[in-house]
Amino acid sequence: MSEAGSMQPAERRLSLLVTVLAFALPVLFVLVPLAIFLGYSFFSVDQGTIVYGLSLGNYVRFFTDPIFLPVFWNTIVLCVSVAIICILLAYPAAYFLTTLKGRWRYALLMLLLVPLLMSYVIKIYAIRSILGLNGFLNKALVAVGILQQPSTLFVFNMNAILLTLTLLLIPFAILPIFLSLERIPQVLLRASDDLGASGLQTFLRITLPLSLPGVASAASFVFVLAIGDFLTPQMVGGISGFTFGRILYSQFGTAYNWPFGAALSVALAVVVIAAILVGERFGRNRGTSI
Amino acid sequence: MNQNADLLTLRSVSKSYGTVPVLHDIDLSIKDGEFLTVLGPSGSGKTTVLRLIGGLEPLTSGEIRLDGQDISRMPINKRPFNTVFQDYALFPHLTVSGNVGYGLSVRHIQRKEIVRRVAEALELVQLGRFADRFPAQLSGGQRQRVALARALICQPRLILLDEPLAALDLELRRQMQEFLKSIQREIKTTFLFVTHDQEEAIGMADRICVMEAGHIRQLGTPHDLYYKPNCEFVARFFGENNLVAGKLGPAHGELRSIETALGRLICSISSQPHLKAAPDGASAYAAFRPEALHLVDGKDADNRFSGTIADLAFAGSSTVATIAAGIGNAAQRLRLRVPSRVDGSALKSGETVSLSFAPHEGHLVLA
Repeated sequence: MSEAGSMQPAERRLSLLVTVLAFALPVLFVLVPLAIFLGYSFFSVDQGTIVYGLSLGNYVRFFTDPIFLPVFWNTIVLCVSVAIICILLAYPAAYFLTTLKGRWRYALLMLLLVPLLMSYVIKIYAIRSILGLNGFLNKALVAVGILQQPSTLFVFNMNAILLTLTLLLIPFAILPIFLSLERIPQVLLRASDDLGASGLQTFLRITLPLSLPGVASAASFVFVLAIGDFLTPQMVGGISGFTFGRILYSQFGTAYNWPFGAALSVALAVVVIAAILVGERFGRNRGTSI
Repeated sequence: MNQNADLLTLRSVSKSYGTVPVLHDIDLSIKDGEFLTVLGPSGSGKTTVLRLIGGLEPLTSGEIRLDGQDISRMPINKRPFNTVFQDYALFPHLTVSGNVGYGLSVRHIQRKEIVRRVAEALELVQLGRFADRFPAQLSGGQRQRVALARALICQPRLILLDEPLAALDLELRRQMQEFLKSIQREIKTTFLFVTHDQEEAIGMADRICVMEAGHIRQLGTPHDLYYKPNCEFVARFFGENNLVAGKLGPAHGELRSIETALGRLICSISSQPHLKAAPDGASAYAAFRPEALHLVDGKDADNRFSGTIADLAFAGSSTVATIAAGIGNAAQRLRLRVPSRVDGSALKSGETVSLSFAPHEGHLVLA
């Protein structure tokens, strides 16, 4: 007892340190950079040097220039499509996983998550060679007779970006859906059976609604990751596959217009934050704890 | 409803999980309209019986008949039974009325009809005001009542209750016991209630089925089980009891003697033909309740023996004395229950006392 008492001041100092760190680190490494970004978005560039005078010029340009808004909108549509396709593919996979027993379930889950351990760039290269004009996909489609000759339908365009992002991000959709499905107590499904529901009714009325939080977080995950990605569009998009991420990248890289890039980032951040909030809103379940 | 008709019959029902048998050849008839409690310690197979009847598990062998029709292979969602699960299993994303109306809405009953019957069911369980709440916003006792309303709204032939009061505190459990019993009387539906709590069983059941190790040990009214246990397990499990081992002596009409370390004891065997038929010298126990024992002064009482008070425990309305009786290998610990007195117990620790019980309050069980 006395030992614990003498430990107390040291413990209190440690817990104080931990508390300070817990608040300071996110502030220092997340909020401060974001604030700097926000500040930069009100500056401008004159002949390669940044002019530190506040103006709304960057935002006016973003909203008035006919280039940016359509790309912005198309990118949002693309990423929403990626999220939807990922959910549609991931849900059955995750559901199937939860029907497996014991060791198989986790072995298979690990297999599905293995791609996350591989380098992003290598995966993109691999997918690019699959999608190419002489790639596996075209050859397979020709071989089974669906296509007469190799098609350019998914070579260096928006479709290629859509397919690639979907493939790359699907593990991020499977995991939260799997977890939300797994967390549904089996007794609820038995209770539904017991009350006379058919298998389909139990799925539609119990399983599906209770897994929606997982679906919502999966969707916002995939959407946020997709919309922030510039590497994938750069590598598989070709000329026609132009996304907002690429514009952003070019502002910081080739154009060296950091203030305008920062303003575009702010526009993107607004969408990302909105997506996260929506995901969070639907992800919250009314009184899940029984 | 005909109280004597069998609603449900289990015929030589067995169940194994893999190679582990949990039920051995169970025969059980449930009468229409009765409150039947299945009582047993954990691992006795009592919950398995309920799960087999409800269709949550398939039988390994045997059959279950409802009104004489074999329903062993009938899928769970077609059986006219509903279950109140141990942890209620309320749907967290549905309101109280959503939960209660679930069984009707999956049967595509008209919305107006559902609303009316949900209101009725909630009225019955006194939860009318809580229709729009979610389960997480309710207390344990309220959830319990929602689970009950959800089960009875489908007008099942049989309601299965799987230790539904286990999670409640003592006071609430008492209230719920009375409540369940009164609801059962009101809707006249057959209840099959599983519990490990013998006090709960005594208070609620019309009949009790005592199970142990996958066997039914005894089936009867609480009174029968208390006063005429048919085996050592029931005699020990069901209420506090004193058991003294011995060899059976001759029978005289409704009484039979048994030679024990405490001397010759005489016990009742009325309407228990198997005790009348048991041969002389067979191993058996004399069983008598702590409250049947009393202190005696005279030497002429039946079933008289002496012992030393080893311990006294005050238990509110009564005081329980632990008595050391007999000597050496034959030493026995017995319990004596006497009404408590405001000026302290008349008993003193270490005192030697003479005890006795009336022959008709003692009974015999075969070892």
